Amino acid sequence: MSVSHLLILSACGLLLSLATAMRSSRAWLATSLAGVLSALGAAIFTLLSNGGWEWQSSFRIGGETLHLRLDGVSALFLALVAVLGGVVVSYSREYWAEAAHPRSAPRGRFWLSLMLLAMGLLLLCSNGLHFLLAWELFALCGYFLITLDGRLREVRAAGWLYFAASHAGTLALFAFFAMLAARTGSWELGPMQTQAELAPLFWLALFGFGVKAGLFPLHIWLPSAHANAPSHVSAILSGVAIKMGIYGIVRFSGWLPAPAGAGWVVVGLGVVSAVLGVAFALGQHDLKRLLAYHSVENIGIILMGIGFAMVAAAHGHAAWGALALAGGLLHVWNHGLFKGLLFLGAGSVLHATGTREMNRLGGLWRAMPWTAALFALGAAAIAGLPPLNGFVSEWLLYLGMFDAVNQPGAAVAGAIPAIILLAVTGALALACFVKVCGVVFLGAPRSPAAEHAHECGRWMRGSMGVLAAGCAAIGLLPVAFWPAVRSAVAAWRGATESSPAPESLTTLSFIHVALALAGGGAALWLRRQARRGGWARAGTWDCGYAAPTARMQYTAGSFAGIITEWFAWILRPERHAFRPQGPFPPRAAFHEHTPETVLERVLEPVAKAVLAVSSAARRLQHGRVHAYILYLMSGLAVLAALTFFWGR
Amino acid sequence: MTSFLEITVRLAVWLLLAPLLPGIINKVKAWVAGRRGPPLLQLYYDLAKLWRKGVVLSTLASPGFLAATAFSWVAVLAAALLLPLGPWGTSLSFRGDVLLLVYLLALARFCTAGAALETGSAFEGMGAAREVSYAVLAEAAIITAVLTLSVQSRSLSLEAMLAPSAGAGAALLAAGLFTVLLAENCRVPFDDPNTHLELTMIHEVMVLDHSGPALAAVLHGAAMKLLLFSALLVQAVLPVGTLPAAAAVGVLFGGVLAVAVGVGLVESLLARYAFRRVPLLLTTAFLLCVFALLVAWKGGAA
Repeated sequence: MSVSHLLILSACGLLLSLATAMRSSRAWLATSLAGVLSALGAAIFTLLSNGGWEWQSSFRIGGETLHLRLDGVSALFLALVAVLGGVVVSYSREYWAEAAHPRSAPRGRFWLSLMLLAMGLLLLCSNGLHFLLAWELFALCGYFLITLDGRLREVRAAGWLYFAASHAGTLALFAFFAMLAARTGSWELGPMQTQAELAPLFWLALFGFGVKAGLFPLHIWLPSAHANAPSHVSAILSGVAIKMGIYGIVRFSGWLPAPAGAGWVVVGLGVVSAVLGVAFALGQHDLKRLLAYHSVENIGIILMGIGFAMVAAAHGHAAWGALALAGGLLHVWNHGLFKGLLFLGAGSVLHATGTREMNRLGGLWRAMPWTAALFALGAAAIAGLPPLNGFVSEWLLYLGMFDAVNQPGAAVAGAIPAIILLAVTGALALACFVKVCGVVFLGAPRSPAAEHAHECGRWMRGSMGVLAAGCAAIGLLPVAFWPAVRSAVAAWRGATESSPAPESLTTLSFIHVALALAGGGAALWLRRQARRGGWARAGTWDCGYAAPTARMQYTAGSFAGIITEWFAWILRPERHAFRPQGPFPPRAAFHEHTPETVLERVLEPVAKAVLAVSSAARRLQHGRVHAYILYLMSGLAVLAALTFFWGR
Repeated sequence: MTSFLEITVRLAVWLLLAPLLPGIINKVKAWVAGRRGPPLLQLYYDLAKLWRKGVVLSTLASPGFLAATAFSWVAVLAAALLLPLGPWGTSLSFRGDVLLLVYLLALARFCTAGAALETGSAFEGMGAAREVSYAVLAEAAIITAVLTLSVQSRSLSLEAMLAPSAGAGAALLAAGLFTVLLAENCRVPFDDPNTHLELTMIHEVMVLDHSGPALAAVLHGAAMKLLLFSALLVQAVLPVGTLPAAAAVGVLFGGVLAVAVGVGLVESLLARYAFRRVPLLLTTAFLLCVFALLVAWKGGAA
């Protein structure tokens, strides 16, 4: 079967799933799974054949012929959409089931299918006008999915913020595509590096796609949308929707001529997003909000890869640029897999306990061993630990940056701080995920809700298992995935030469497998030895403390306290302390909350000032006709005076 | 077959020699204080005893508690196996192995801190929080040291990076790495390995609820980590790889011994710092490495 057949099959599957979404959940599941699997097939076929697929219609839509194109870059993203789409579709069958959500479940199925279809179209469209149509459709589906459970006030607020931010970005994209079409004379997209006058348009694209990607400081919509959406929607949003922004940046950094210094700006935005994203994550105590900030962090890591590739291209297409880009693009996959896994895990926790507040959870491994184990695997992967996939992509990125340092050129001075800050980001992410795993799944339950949790059902576990298997597969056998990444890297600037796999990647595979086997073996051995010597259970010793309670455990805030103190200059945590007073203090309390600094400290004051000025100006408009005549007369008088004195 | 034999020998060196180092440090401390001190091989006796003992687990601990302890030990061992040993080099050298080493140590940290949180104790949570927080600064210092070595040798594999000396900035790098060694291996002035009932500990407090074979794994892993850092420090600073084999072995062993004696002396002569000064000291270590990097970068360009 060729790519065209598979894509037609996929479109048919998704269209059928749209038709069945409102009626039968089983038919919807079957058709949408068939749709995403054929899309996955098309993507894999394109990636492995190292070629492209193009198709032009004989009819016109909106005055333009439909031009579809699937090359390495779009196939890489299409594969991720397909995998995560399939997983989320199966997860939502149980998570957002008819029984619990009789009204919103059919709607949720419909918008989910439509969103997958829109993302597929967006990746295929090679015409600016159609791209914009698909983009808008995709953004709207996002809004309806976030506000699926619109009864809650904060859900509606999050949806509104997403809608507004998304359209601010879309506005920039309208300007971008319109100006591109005006300057090139056609809506057709494709490589146009030779037209140097198009370079400034890159900034518009960076803003428009950057809002969707959620890079710092354009991420304002991201935390509340990810936190308040249903968890399977959060997984789609974080796993693939924000990647559409990255797709735009990758695509147009490859196709457009880059303005001077653009690569460094992208690197800088990436570094800032990575470090501050994880710093904000550390300050959160809402499980899903925390994961949302980690999306900002990982988008930063991806942008670092793209940025260094742009810098390398500006300096004459050095080989290290390809390595950095490979790291960034592989991280697109990896982030989709482990962040999807983590959001689905958070969804299972929410499903079982009814709360996202980490300080009310704890000890969940007992009730939810599968979720706990899979979540821990995802946590290790996102912290970039070997032998999992997060390490492989960061390692490729490091290789690219170290090569930049070791080659004479202007890139050295920028690569050195980027390397150090990437390492710091890794250590911070590790701290954050030790905190999440520990506070949510380990220790003693902090509330009755956590005590009476239950494991999620088979479909939800199975969906998480697929993503976890993906994380492990890329981690243990990175060589097997290299051809896909390579063809995307080659397609980035339309280059024909493709870089061979770094020979050390094979060695890394070998060590990762050995490490996993040795670790598992050692764990069994230690367990056997402990059993042999005698095995006893007792209360936590804790230096002999007699009566520990669950409330004495370290909380999310206390665990991250040292680091959030270092970042207090930007996190601006709000603390409310009621200290115990007197010999028999009646009550004492301590609350800490980390606000979204950019939104609450920058954007809202500016918006308030604009509104204040506007409402002051509104006083001029009151409906009294004689006053309007006075405005007219005084206006005329001022004009007359102006022409009389300066007009001559 | 030879490679199998080689790996076995290498494993034996790391597994058997590592517990010697804490013994040497304790001897030095005892000597400075005018005591006789515990025998040199005390840790071996302790490990043998602990390994045969039973284990008392917290009622809150999951099966992951022992698994994480085992994984942490394996991660340190794997990192150690990546490190070249003077003239013997390493059995698996590849481009970027140094990054794997750094991240394997991070994996060990993830497992140890996770196991500490298993017990639901405020005390161990405190230790885990401190461990992962200060590690951020330590990791920045380590990656800067790696950058220095990489710039110096224009390479990204440990064997090539560690062969020559660290050049003009060797003293700076040595001071930075030694400070990181003290911090990462829970030695004075960051932490006090002797206390068990202080609110001011980092590493030791995380393993309060480990017992029997699990505690043996933790202690042995800590000893291997100390040897790993000492060997890394010696080879990073001294041109071990350029010497003839016999001299290189002598320099390597002498250097590791000197590091152990140095740790013992620091521990005898300094008191543990207050916690608010720990980040300052680690930042100093980071800055020392940054200056070493600047010397290597600008010195190499000139």
